[in-house]
Amino acid sequence: MNNWKERGIEKIFLLSTIISSSITLLILGFMAYMALPLLRGGLFRLLTEPWMPQQGFYGIYPMIVGTSVISLLSLLIAFPVSLGCSFLISSIGPKSLSAVFRRIVQMMTGIPTVIYGFVGIFLLVPLIREFFQGGSGMCILTAALMLGVLISPTMILFFCDSFDRVPRSYIDAADSLGANRLQTLLYVILPSAREGIVIGVLLAFGRAMGDTLVSLMIAGNSIAEPKSILDSVRTLTAHIALVIAADYESPEFRSIFACGLVLYLFITIVILAVRRLAFRKSEERA
Amino acid sequence: MRKQYVVAALAVIFSLFVLTADCISGELEAFGGQKGTLKISGGTAHIPVMKEAAQRIMSAFPDIQISIAAGGSGVGIKQVGEGLVNIGNTGRKPTDDEIARYQLKVHQWALDGVGVVVNPKNRVKALTKAQVMDIFAGRIDNWKSVGGENRKINLYTRDEASGTREVFWEKALDKGTISPSANVVVSNGAMKSAVAQDSYGIGYVSVGHIDSTVAPVALDGVIPTIKTVKEGKYKIARGLYSNTKGEPTGLTRAFINYLYSREGRKIVEKGGFIPFP
Amino acid sequence: MKQAGERLTIWYSWTCGLILTAAVFSILAYLLFKGAGAFHPKLIFGGVSPLKAVLLQQRVFDGLFPAVVGTLMLVSLSVSIALPIGFATGIYLAEYADFRIKNAFNLIFDILAGIPSIVVGLFGFALAVFLHKHYSSSIQPCLLISGLALAFLVLPYIIRTTQIALESLSPEIRLTALALGATKLQNLVYVLLPQSLTGMISGVILAIGRCAEDTAVIMLTGVVVAAGVPKSVFAPYEALPFYIYYISSQYTTPEELMNGYGAALLLLLLCLFLFALAFVIKKRLSYLAFYRP
Repeated sequence: MNNWKERGIEKIFLLSTIISSSITLLILGFMAYMALPLLRGGLFRLLTEPWMPQQGFYGIYPMIVGTSVISLLSLLIAFPVSLGCSFLISSIGPKSLSAVFRRIVQMMTGIPTVIYGFVGIFLLVPLIREFFQGGSGMCILTAALMLGVLISPTMILFFCDSFDRVPRSYIDAADSLGANRLQTLLYVILPSAREGIVIGVLLAFGRAMGDTLVSLMIAGNSIAEPKSILDSVRTLTAHIALVIAADYESPEFRSIFACGLVLYLFITIVILAVRRLAFRKSEERA
Repeated sequence: MRKQYVVAALAVIFSLFVLTADCISGELEAFGGQKGTLKISGGTAHIPVMKEAAQRIMSAFPDIQISIAAGGSGVGIKQVGEGLVNIGNTGRKPTDDEIARYQLKVHQWALDGVGVVVNPKNRVKALTKAQVMDIFAGRIDNWKSVGGENRKINLYTRDEASGTREVFWEKALDKGTISPSANVVVSNGAMKSAVAQDSYGIGYVSVGHIDSTVAPVALDGVIPTIKTVKEGKYKIARGLYSNTKGEPTGLTRAFINYLYSREGRKIVEKGGFIPFP
Repeated sequence: MKQAGERLTIWYSWTCGLILTAAVFSILAYLLFKGAGAFHPKLIFGGVSPLKAVLLQQRVFDGLFPAVVGTLMLVSLSVSIALPIGFATGIYLAEYADFRIKNAFNLIFDILAGIPSIVVGLFGFALAVFLHKHYSSSIQPCLLISGLALAFLVLPYIIRTTQIALESLSPEIRLTALALGATKLQNLVYVLLPQSLTGMISGVILAIGRCAEDTAVIMLTGVVVAAGVPKSVFAPYEALPFYIYYISSQYTTPEELMNGYGAALLLLLLCLFLFALAFVIKKRLSYLAFYRP
């Protein structure tokens, strides 16, 4: 009797797992299915043509460029700052201050994305417009700055976590050799936490790529390829939000599923890279 | 003698009151006894009017639920065609193709225009049609070429589902190109706040939406106001339409009739449009 | 030389800390400064008496009440869908799955966690359209579809926190009951789950926070500009984050903008409150777990 109950419960749990995982695959399936007619028309065309539906061009190239540029720029802005902050929290700052700072960073992860976008429109956009004396203020730079603030807490917490995971023995060894906290950080912890840092960067990159609100609200959404960081640009995510209106059978509508597909595949690649690195690190550890 | 006049006057006033009161409540009375949900989506220019009408109806009849979504004229047509909403608002007349495909019935309840707007601080207040075409195509990119300061022109345009954009493109730009590097905003309200915040911006917006936060630009000498649209002087005119799939029935029919009623027309006027017919 | 490099690092780290703190405080201060003025019952109830509004006797038209209710209903719906499935999956992965299967599923759920929210929303929308066309034309983007899509979004959070909470229990705790003759299920229900409750609850609160703040998913699956308090799960609804997004670009009067600031402040306080709650619960429960007499 008990055995039936045990097996039954296990089967129920297994069923839930299958349901959950099938959702992931269903999402991929739906994207591919809806984008299929467009893909059949030529994958290369889709990925490299500009977006001009009135002239029959349904390519998502400008949006791919937009997403890549904004994400990379935000990473470029956020990485040094996050690294410095994580140094501060884990080693350089005095204990009490570091604890407070860590709380502040943890609290930042709770701030909704729409708030960043909202404040961005009213605070940052006019600032950039005045500072550069030109452009509408809604451009790659503004979006990248806001996005950088958005992804920093995740990166900082991840870095601190990696620093904390460095084996105690390493730190003790450095201590016994007379190194102070900073030197331990720079010459012992940092090299060991190298993979952790890369993983953190990749995860933040994934987050930046997938963000919708910030780029929808402050990047301008133009359909041209950007030529400078003060140009208005549209990301894949904002494109989905903007074009959802079109007719269900039209190529425009299908293009947003192509965008979804591209995003899905980008993320999968990032996740796979992260797993490779994590696996290597744990092997090294063992 | 005096007293009689006073009484007579009071009687007249009183009966006037009674008569008109009957009229006013009569328009909303059509909703009495109705219940259920009415779903509206589509054009963003219509939203203030829709919200006001919905508020009055829902205050008087709590059993009725009216929901209003945005999205643009393209969304309106598609959603009403697919049966996702009861009324799809558009800022342009649906094409024959769309009407045939979804069996749409078109109800026009207002006249509106699409005007070019700039920031109030901008000293350029008049442009020729050729200049407007060149600006939006990106051929003219500095305000000094049209009499303003030496600053780059920031273009704002609407998304592709927009009826406002469609009308502007067809009538003001003669189907010319809109520069791909223009900033895209998603509604009339968004266009207004974008231009209101950007001293060097230029865009186009429904005439009914123009208020003191943006400055209208005269096109070939005609300033886009609701008056010039009515008189036919301002050529970039368009209607505001509510489309239904087939003949409207029940709650939908009551709502559409309400838009044509006297109270409805007042609401349309308050929104800055010209009631039609 | 090295001395200089080290000094530079210290100076650099402090600057970074300062930059980040300045950024976050300017955001919060700006919102507080602009939104505090809008913080009074009129913001939420728009002129209608609060009691009447909450009892649904009178409709609120100019206030945030419908949006707040919409958000609350949405969160309850999506969390109640995601919770059972997420818990069960997390338990399965931690307790019953063997190594290879666990790895494969972990990869799938990592991908699910990484999918951008708008793609999840797109999926929800496509699902609604698909069902609308092929099954029943009364299925439309609505509260239910949004709840479902949001459940998909937060599922990986719940799975992951449940799994980690269970896996981080020490071997002693795991083996004790088994050694005393309990079955696997009894061990799970009476020993393991209570011990990992803190982790699981913080996962739930994380999920609640995520549902409350998400905009991209609900934008595509049923949130509208004006709908009042939803009467059923098949109705369109309003939500706080969408209201903020909508007002930010489409405010027509300064009062509306003030409302937007107030709404932004409200949402911010709500999410920070949830975050603080998760933290407190974690501390409280671990205190209880250790010091229970």
